Amino acid sequence: MIRWNTDQTDLREGLERWGEALSADHIELEEQGRFPEDKWKLLRDTGILSLPFEEEYGGLGQSLLTTMYALEGLGEYNRDSGLSFSATTSICSTGIPVQHFGTDDQKQRYLPLIASGEAIGAHAITEAEGGSDAMAMTTRATRDGETFVLSGSKAFVSNGPIADVIVVYARTHPRGGPLGTTAFLVDRDTPGLTTGGCGKKMGLRTSPLCELYLDDVRVPRSAVLGRVGGGLMVLDHVMKREVLFSFVVNAGEMRHRLERCVAYAKTRQSFGRAIGSYQSIANKIVDMKIQLESARKWLYDTGEKLEAGEDVTVDLAIAKLVTSRSNLATSLAAVQIFGGHGYMSEYGLEQDVRNAVGGTVYSGTNEIQYNRIASMLGLGAGR
Amino acid sequence: MSNVDTIKNFVISEFLPGTAPAELAVDHDLLNDGVIDSLGVLKLIAWVEDRFELAVGDADLDPENFRSVEAIDHFVTHARAAA
Repeated sequence: MIRWNTDQTDLREGLERWGEALSADHIELEEQGRFPEDKWKLLRDTGILSLPFEEEYGGLGQSLLTTMYALEGLGEYNRDSGLSFSATTSICSTGIPVQHFGTDDQKQRYLPLIASGEAIGAHAITEAEGGSDAMAMTTRATRDGETFVLSGSKAFVSNGPIADVIVVYARTHPRGGPLGTTAFLVDRDTPGLTTGGCGKKMGLRTSPLCELYLDDVRVPRSAVLGRVGGGLMVLDHVMKREVLFSFVVNAGEMRHRLERCVAYAKTRQSFGRAIGSYQSIANKIVDMKIQLESARKWLYDTGEKLEAGEDVTVDLAIAKLVTSRSNLATSLAAVQIFGGHGYMSEYGLEQDVRNAVGGTVYSGTNEIQYNRIASMLGLGAGR
Repeated sequence: MSNVDTIKNFVISEFLPGTAPAELAVDHDLLNDGVIDSLGVLKLIAWVEDRFELAVGDADLDPENFRSVEAIDHFVTHARAAA
């Protein structure tokens, strides 16, 4: 396991003092399904949104692993999981690809805004019919001189209702297969771009989500992010960071949950003894510890390999599977340990269960992760 | 070994294990038939750049350059000539 230096631990522990303010009223806000704009301002003040971005664009210039470590702290101290999810979505959807693939103009225009949180980013990949199959997308981008015209619709766009800039993935070549998709930076106020269908979610309700409609949205050639036909390369780069950044937040949430359960098990009495003295409860908590440390190990090991430039296709899929399943399992265990209290909304534990289910679905469903691992083992369809 | 054979061997070893070289036509559509998916294309481009010591530029990312073994061979030949 990585030995964190003083600067890294200071960065992470510095988040603790923001925890109470970030977490305030999170249960009520979640019930209302409202994005907390005032807390986004607090989040901006923490500096966490600027962690991985170059200093010349207003970032803190932190490495992938240091960013992960700080984001784990966000999960540990902030109980508003939807807010954390919106933060990692903004960082990963827009800032990360602009930093890696963007032109100088794109970096100067967008990175300072994303790094400071003044602008919120989103990306539009999934479509109603295609699900996690990015190759099946039907949204088209047709070249017209020095512009592209985007037409189609996208579903489940996290941060969509609040985003100032959206990275839209569209087909630029109908028979181009994996080279037929291009990423575009589309400003929120671009004519023809509208949102709708902001339905109620099972969890993460303070992070708004919507459908996106593109009705002949005309963007200049300079809005292409990366290369024409290179959209899936952009997406591949993004998804690696999205999985590591958003799921390491879950690891922080699991750590908080574990500590909360340990404290409860030591004080809650049943039949004259602390419930933690019963093996049936203690073993649940031990399982939570094992699940937390397994998830952390997979996430940080994968981060180290990614930083070293190694192929992380399988590692990333396993890290996502292990963390999302551990998050769900530990959230259910916490409800069980807290008994009737855990079942009540005011304890925030049933909310954790609903939030954790989301992790098995977003960033590529867990079924897709299984398919990916199977494919790398030579077991994919058509083999 | 010709470039066509080199490319064919790579495609078979990475994406169609167990396939005899004679079974893979040089004009077989690798992209539309799903032989090479979004992960595979990253691997293919990285391999082409490394094996043939050339850079795949923005304009070269045209699917037609990577659609088949034959197309990749043509692309490599032209890219090397232009270098």
